[in-house]
Amino acid sequence: MTPLPALPAAVERPGPATRVVAALSARGLKRRYQIDGRPVDALAGVDIEVQPGESVAIVGKSGAGKSTLLNLIGALDRGYEGELRVFGRELRTLSDAELARFRNQQIGFVFQAFHLLPQLSVGRNVMLPAAFGGGLTDGEVETRARALLAELGLSDRFDQNPAQMSGGERQRVAIARALLLEPPLLVCDEPTGSLDAETGRQILAVLADVRARRGTTLLLVTHDPAVARSADRTITLAGGRSAAGEAA
Amino acid sequence: MRVRRLVGLIVANLATQRLRAALTILGIVVGTALLVFFIGLGQGLRERVLNRIFPVNQLELEPRAVQVFGIEQIASDVPLDDARIAQVARLPGVVRAFGKQKSGFPARLWGGKELIGYNLFTEAFFDGMPAVVLRSELDTIEDVAAKRREAAARTAARCDVDLDCLAGQGCRDGTCELVVWASRFRDDLAIVLPCAASADCAQGVGCHGGRCGSGHSALPAEAAARCLLPESAGNGRGLEFDREVGVLARPCDAQGDFCPIAGSACPAGTYCAGDDPDTVLGWCEPPLPAVLNPLLIEVFNSDMARSLGAAPLASLHALYGIRFHVAFGDSYFAKDAARDRQQVKQAVVVGFSRKAPELGVALPLSLVRALNARFRSQAAAQVYDAVLIETLSNERVPEVVAGAEKLGFQLSRKSRAARTVGTVVFVTALALILLAFVVLLVAAAQIAQTFALLVHERRREIAVLRALGATRGAVAFLVLGEAAVLGVSGGTLGVALARAAAAGVDLAARAALAGVPLLPDGFFAFPVWAAPLGVAVGIVFCVAGALGPARRAAQMDPAEVLAQG
Ligand SMILES: Nc1ncnc2c1ncn2[C@@H]1O[C@H](COP(=O)(O)OP(=O)(O)OP(=O)(O)O)[C@@H](O)[C@H]1O
Ligand SMILES: [Mg+2]
Repeated sequence: MTPLPALPAAVERPGPATRVVAALSARGLKRRYQIDGRPVDALAGVDIEVQPGESVAIVGKSGAGKSTLLNLIGALDRGYEGELRVFGRELRTLSDAELARFRNQQIGFVFQAFHLLPQLSVGRNVMLPAAFGGGLTDGEVETRARALLAELGLSDRFDQNPAQMSGGERQRVAIARALLLEPPLLVCDEPTGSLDAETGRQILAVLADVRARRGTTLLLVTHDPAVARSADRTITLAGGRSAAGEAA
Repeated sequence: MRVRRLVGLIVANLATQRLRAALTILGIVVGTALLVFFIGLGQGLRERVLNRIFPVNQLELEPRAVQVFGIEQIASDVPLDDARIAQVARLPGVVRAFGKQKSGFPARLWGGKELIGYNLFTEAFFDGMPAVVLRSELDTIEDVAAKRREAAARTAARCDVDLDCLAGQGCRDGTCELVVWASRFRDDLAIVLPCAASADCAQGVGCHGGRCGSGHSALPAEAAARCLLPESAGNGRGLEFDREVGVLARPCDAQGDFCPIAGSACPAGTYCAGDDPDTVLGWCEPPLPAVLNPLLIEVFNSDMARSLGAAPLASLHALYGIRFHVAFGDSYFAKDAARDRQQVKQAVVVGFSRKAPELGVALPLSLVRALNARFRSQAAAQVYDAVLIETLSNERVPEVVAGAEKLGFQLSRKSRAARTVGTVVFVTALALILLAFVVLLVAAAQIAQTFALLVHERRREIAVLRALGATRGAVAFLVLGEAAVLGVSGGTLGVALARAAAAGVDLAARAALAGVPLLPDGFFAFPVWAAPLGVAVGIVFCVAGALGPARRAAQMDPAEVLAQG
C-alpha cells in the first residue's frame, strides 16, 4: 500500500501559532432513536476533532453508529444532543434551508452504493449539485464537470449512461459529483464497500489524489483495515462512543 | 437559472418513464377532453344551431292573451299600431322594434310543377315583415357572401337572355350577373290591385284607372302614374323597366307574357299579370318576393315527398326562383271575395327564414298592408299582430320581456319555445361539464396514487438529491413540476382529442343528416379560451393530485432513507 502523498505546500496545515478553525469538532455528541417506543442511543457521547486537510477513518462494528455520525456531520440530520461544529458552525442552529446550502457547498457525499441517478447521463449526474446552488454559469458547470471526469480518468464518458459502467467507474463519477462545487469536506460511507479489493485500492488512490490536490478533509467510514490504514488516523466507534485510534 | 436546471431534471425523469407517464395522464386526457368537448358542443348548439333557428336577442311579442272558456283571446282592446310599436321600441334594452302583420283575407296558392311534376294546392297565409328583419338570415342561408366572392373572381360573360348565363346568374344589360334573391325582398315594392276608389288601396296609394298603384318612391310621380295606367302604357314605351324595384311598365298578353302594345315580351324577371287568370290584357309585373320557412322543406322531405312519390329536396337552393301562383280573395274554406275583387298574382321564392310562418309565406310588409287594405279594411292595414324586437344583448332579454309584459305583451309561442330550448341546452351542457369535472376529480385521485407510488420508489434518489443540497422546496418543486408537465401534456392531448372528436361528430352528422336542409357547418363552437382552459384544468388537477405526495417527498428524512441501505 503506497502511503498517501504529502500535502502540497500551498495547503496550510494548522500550526501551534495559528488558530485555525477545526474542520470538525464534536463534544459529547449523542443521537437517540426511538425504536419500538424505546429510546436507543446510536451515539452516546462522541468526542472528535478533525483538522482541515486531515483524512480520518471511522471504524467500528456494524451498528456502532458510523453512518449515524456521518449523517450528522454531513448536515443531513440535525436531531442530536451535545456539540457538533463543522467548520466552526453549530449545525443544530442552522435552518433547513441553511443546512441544504451547507450540504451543497461544504460537504461532498460518497456512498457505498454510488447513488447515481440512472435517468441522467454521467455528465448530468456530475453537474447535479449545481442545480441546487453554487452560482456557476452553465458553461462553468460543464467545464468543471468535464475537467473533473478527465481528472478521475473518465474523459469522453460525459454522455455515457452510468448503467453501462463498472462499479469502480461509477464510484469515480460519484466522487466527481461530490467535488463539483469544491466542498472542503468529503464524507465517504464505505466508498469501497461495493468494490473488489483492486478497484477499492484505485478509489482510495483517487481520494488521496483529490485530497493532495485540493486539501480536502476526508472522513472515511470503513470496515476494511486496509482502507483505515490509508487514513492519517482512525477513530473507532463502539457502543456509541468514540475511541481515538492510532495515527496511520 | 437553477429553476431551468430543475426543469431539466423533471424532463429527464419523465422521459425515462414515458409509458407510465402516458398511463398516468389518461384520466386527465379524458377529463379535459370531455370538458372541452362539452363546452364546444354547448356553445356550438347555442351559437350555430339555436341562434340560427331562434336568434336569442330577437324576440317576437304578441298582445297578451287570456283564456276565455278555454279559448285564447287577446286581453287588451288597444290596437297594436305604430304608436304601440314605438312604445316597445323605447323599452330599455330594445334596439329596434317592428310590426308584423298577418294577412286576414282568404287566399290560396298553387305551384311546384317544375319541381315535383304536378302542382300542389293549398290555402295560403301571409306574414308581412319589414325586409330589415329578415335580411341577415336571408343572406346567410342563401350564402350571398360566397356568391359575391365567386362573382368577383369571374369576369362577366356576355349574354342576350338569362339562358346564356350560368345557373344562379341572369342576363342584364348584355352581361351575366349573379342573382341575389335575398335583395328582391324589399320594403318599397309595388303591387297592382283592382280598385274602385282610393279607399280600396293602402294609405298613400291612389286608385288610378281602376288599379291601386303603390308607386315606387324612386320613380318620378308623374312617370309612376303613367306607367301604372294601362291607357298610358303606350306612352311608357320608352320607360326603362326597373327589374329590382319591379314596377310594371307595359301592358301585356297574359297568354304569352307578351306585351301587345309595346310589341315585345315582358322584360326578364317579370310576367304578365292580369286582374284574373282569364284576363288577357295585364301588365308586366315582377312576381311577389316570397320567403318560406325552411321547416316546410323538412316537412316535405320527411313525410310528404314519399307519400307523393316525389324525390326529397337535397338543398334549399333548388327552390330559389321557383314561382307559384297566388289567388287573393279566393279560398278553399272561407267565403270568396267578390269575383271582381279577386286577383291572381305570381310569387317567387327569394329566400328562407325561420321567422317566416311555418305553414305560410312571408311577404314584404308593404305588400301585405296593401293586400289587407284591399281585402279587409283600411283600419286592418294599420294594426299589427305581433312585434319583432331586437335586444341589445342576450343578457337584456329578461329585462325587456318584463318591460313588454307591463305594456300588455307576452312572448310569442315561438320565442317562448326558443327560450325554453336555450335553457335546456344550457343546463344540459352545464351538467355534462360537471360530469367532466367529476372525471377530472377521479383522475386527480389517480394521479395522487401514482405519485405517492412514484415518490416511494424514488425515495432514495430524493434523499441523494437532499444530500447534494436540494431543499425541501426543491424536492416539492421537482414532484409538482413533473405533475405540471404531465398536466400540460394531458390537457393539450385532451383539447386535441376534443377537437378531433368534435370534427368526427360533425363528419358523422353530415353523413347521417345528408339531405336535411339548413344544417349548420358544424355543431361545435370552441371559444378562444377553451384550449387554454383545457390545458390549465389539466395542470390544476394534476398538480392538485400531486400535492400530497409532493409534501410527503419534501418532508422525508434523507438520513433515515439512506440508513435503510
Ligand atoms: N433512522 C433510524 N431510526 C432508528 N434507528 C436507527 C436509525 N438509523 C440508525 N439506527 C440505529 O442506530 C444504530 C446505528 O446505526 P448505523 O447505521 O449508524 O450503524 P453503522 O455503524 O453505520 O452500521 P453498518 O456498519 O452496518 O453500516 C443501529 O442500531 C441502527 O439500528
Ligand atoms: Mg453504516
